[in-house]
Amino acid sequence: MPRRVRFLGLAAILWLATALLSGCGGAGQAKSAYKDTVPLPAEPLVVEMAEPGTYGGRFVFAETAPPRTFNTIMANESSSYDVTDGRLYVPMLDFDNATEEMKPRLASSWEISPDGKTSTWHLRRGAAFSDGHPITSEDILFSFEVYMDDTLHVSLYDFFKPYGQKFKLSAPDSYTVVIETAGPYAMLLGVVGSVYIMPKHMLNPAYQAGRFASAYNVNTPPESVVTSGPWKLKEYVPNEKTVLTRNPYWCGVDSKNQRLPYLDELIYLIVPNQDTAALKFEAGEVDALDDVKAENFQTYLTNQNKGNYTFYDLGPTLNTNFFWFNMNRVRDSKSGKKLGSLYADPVKYAWFVNQDFRKAVSKAIDREAIIKSVYYGYAVKNWSTMTPGNKTWYTPEVVHYDYDLEGAKKLIAGLGWKDTNGDGIVEDQQGHPVRFNLKTNSSNVMRVAMANFIKDDLAKIGIAVDVTPLEFNSLITNLRQDFQYDAILLGLQSATPPDPGMGQNVWRSSGITHYWNVKQPKPETPTEARVDQLMSENVQTNDVAERKRTWKEMQDLVNEQCFIIWLPVIQFKVPVRNRFGNVHPTIIPHRILWNIDRVFVKAQQPRA
Amino acid sequence: MRTYVLRRLLQVIPLLLGISFVTFVLLQLAPGDYINTVAENPMISAERLDAMRREFGLDRPWYVQYGLYLKNIFLHFDFGESFARHQKVFVILREGLLNTLLLALAAAVVTWGLAIPLGVWAAVRQYSWLDKGLTVFGVIGLSIPEVLSGLLLLMLAARTGWLPVGGMHSLDYDQMDWVGKGIDLARHLALPALVVGLTPLAGRMRQMRGNLLDVLRLDYVTTARAKGLSENVVVFKHALRNAINPLITLFGYTLGSLVSGALIVEIIFAWPGLGRITYDALNARDQYLVLGSVLMASFVLVLGNLVADLLLAIADPRIAYD
Repeated sequence: MPRRVRFLGLAAILWLATALLSGCGGAGQAKSAYKDTVPLPAEPLVVEMAEPGTYGGRFVFAETAPPRTFNTIMANESSSYDVTDGRLYVPMLDFDNATEEMKPRLASSWEISPDGKTSTWHLRRGAAFSDGHPITSEDILFSFEVYMDDTLHVSLYDFFKPYGQKFKLSAPDSYTVVIETAGPYAMLLGVVGSVYIMPKHMLNPAYQAGRFASAYNVNTPPESVVTSGPWKLKEYVPNEKTVLTRNPYWCGVDSKNQRLPYLDELIYLIVPNQDTAALKFEAGEVDALDDVKAENFQTYLTNQNKGNYTFYDLGPTLNTNFFWFNMNRVRDSKSGKKLGSLYADPVKYAWFVNQDFRKAVSKAIDREAIIKSVYYGYAVKNWSTMTPGNKTWYTPEVVHYDYDLEGAKKLIAGLGWKDTNGDGIVEDQQGHPVRFNLKTNSSNVMRVAMANFIKDDLAKIGIAVDVTPLEFNSLITNLRQDFQYDAILLGLQSATPPDPGMGQNVWRSSGITHYWNVKQPKPETPTEARVDQLMSENVQTNDVAERKRTWKEMQDLVNEQCFIIWLPVIQFKVPVRNRFGNVHPTIIPHRILWNIDRVFVKAQQPRA
Repeated sequence: MRTYVLRRLLQVIPLLLGISFVTFVLLQLAPGDYINTVAENPMISAERLDAMRREFGLDRPWYVQYGLYLKNIFLHFDFGESFARHQKVFVILREGLLNTLLLALAAAVVTWGLAIPLGVWAAVRQYSWLDKGLTVFGVIGLSIPEVLSGLLLLMLAARTGWLPVGGMHSLDYDQMDWVGKGIDLARHLALPALVVGLTPLAGRMRQMRGNLLDVLRLDYVTTARAKGLSENVVVFKHALRNAINPLITLFGYTLGSLVSGALIVEIIFAWPGLGRITYDALNARDQYLVLGSVLMASFVLVLGNLVADLLLAIADPRIAYD
């Protein structure tokens, strides 16, 4: 009996000890000698890169969440897009993050008619899916049909309807596709470049049966997920990892006619906790991190040599931060409220619609201080949805109202608002103390910190702010459904390509992301009417110079009104191990992964 | 005995029904739904959101949704589909349940494997330095939050390279032979099991010590000693068996709570368990996945209690069910 009891304890200790002592499993990586046995396509896609690489090795990338589906058309989250878009599936043409231009992929060339209404697309001959099935115009038509399906109604749906009419597609032969639009359409390349080509021969039965949404879900056996991109699925372990391997039929080659990709495996390791991911990177179990806190930037910079990695500076992020005031009206008959009535308190609404009030708020915010304290100096000021990180659409000399405390005080005084009772808060002309709540999502510490700075800054001009961090879902309910807020601090994610035309929901007064006053049946202010008109002009032409002119005017108009109070954006940095060649992270999604088909393991490894 | 087990299992049905109702109502009362979480895409249109709401049946009143949910369970044993993953809830939960049970089992080995011998040891050497030392150690283990101890252990693993930094398998796991696989799993299991197992250790150890001390004061122990039995036989054969009963009941409870209670550790150690699936589902308001996971956890808890009661009957001949 005593032995048995002692044995229990011994077993527990022994197990912990053997686990410890059984050696440190170094990530041994033998270089594979991949032999390409599939003949190259008639028209291979020659991919530009810094240096041609060699076959073998693997790249381990940490993600906080697993992909929810391998069906890119039905996906809704970046953890799925990181695996599907550009990796498993490619479009006819793709946005090149290095040059920020559209480059051919499955189409070898295309031309647009002089009137801008007809585009003709020539498919790459010899391109094939990962099961060897050739990619033809049938697959292109099928993919567009799904994207434009009225019942599936995918996110991109509205972009297929310029001038209110759907794209018309036809295929004169197996290698030609013709797209007709009602008029010239600036977003044509962007939209066609967002249509990821999926195999008709695999998915049409599910589509016809109305089961497309659950096709290619994560339970699909890896070999059944037929892909059009450089990679195919090798293994999916729920909540642990997703492993991709090369698509042996992929049409991309390097300058030496070696078929891409070079790596044997691309692994997405699921690590939900940011700190654990950082430790995994430190231990060498992970080759790159995509999400590093600004407070740790200095540590990563100092340890570059020791850790044998490079901490790449990607410049200002494309994702914005800002807040706005609630000027929304009831637009939905189901809400039980009178259509057109205000959501905000009428007293507050009178402040919010006042341009001078909004301007004073913008002028009161010390953005330099926010950059120094919240972002540890790694941030820049930003005045638009197209941040300084955007090469094509960033407009440097746009109208803006930066920190000017005296100017802000003058504006408040000009409104006739004074602190009559000496409590530090000004009262409006009817005697109401000027006080509003500023909501943001509690999970984003940067946003909460910025909200607290705003509270302090506005206190200096006598405006009281109640900062209310909320759980994300509650915030979105306030934002989208019940409109119970005074002001919300939030950000917008950038689309790819990062083009103003992709953000029409934000700029148009009828849009649901036109946060300060959504779904207006008719533009309520002359400024918004003009912006609507400019937005239409902007997307209904192919003349880039003209588009830049209208884009600048839109930003100037909205910023003159201070409908959006802009806040700084972070300068993004990511660490990637030095043993890889052709590494070229960019600020545009998918930052590190966008050119992973070109990344290879360098021959000489300084440290194993 | 058989009727007793059957009766207990039948009692589970109204219990789970009640739990599912309360969970469903709570989910409805919480602001927002799954559609909210996908709405933060500047490209998504109002029509797309409405189409999704219709597709998932979220446009119907909650009692209709709940009624349909129950109907599918009773008619088809179908617990619904996850909104985000377009998969049957059962399939998703199955993925995590085994991993969580493995972690719970390993943690139980740590807790009980240390608590029983240490508790006995402390009891037979009451008020010695060893007894006091174990108490201090236990209290420290109890008071360090799992987040902290977890991250500290991971830091140790990263700096020394002795153990892997989180996860469940090495990347080369598939290429290993079965011995290698076993060792690999044990190495990945060691730290999370230690963290999960250490928290209840102090309590269980003190319980064991207290129970044994109570029993050691009883007359029959004195009698046994007077008979001239060796101290080992007195303690382990006569006293321990009587002292261990309450711990068996506790064992059943911990089994249930371990399944639902390892969430933080699963996140920090990147352990692919049930807790993380539930947490993600809750954040995404993926309501049928949340319901399924709550029902599963409740079922395991009830099962754990039943197992404890049955074990008690085996350990103590005075207890019988019929």
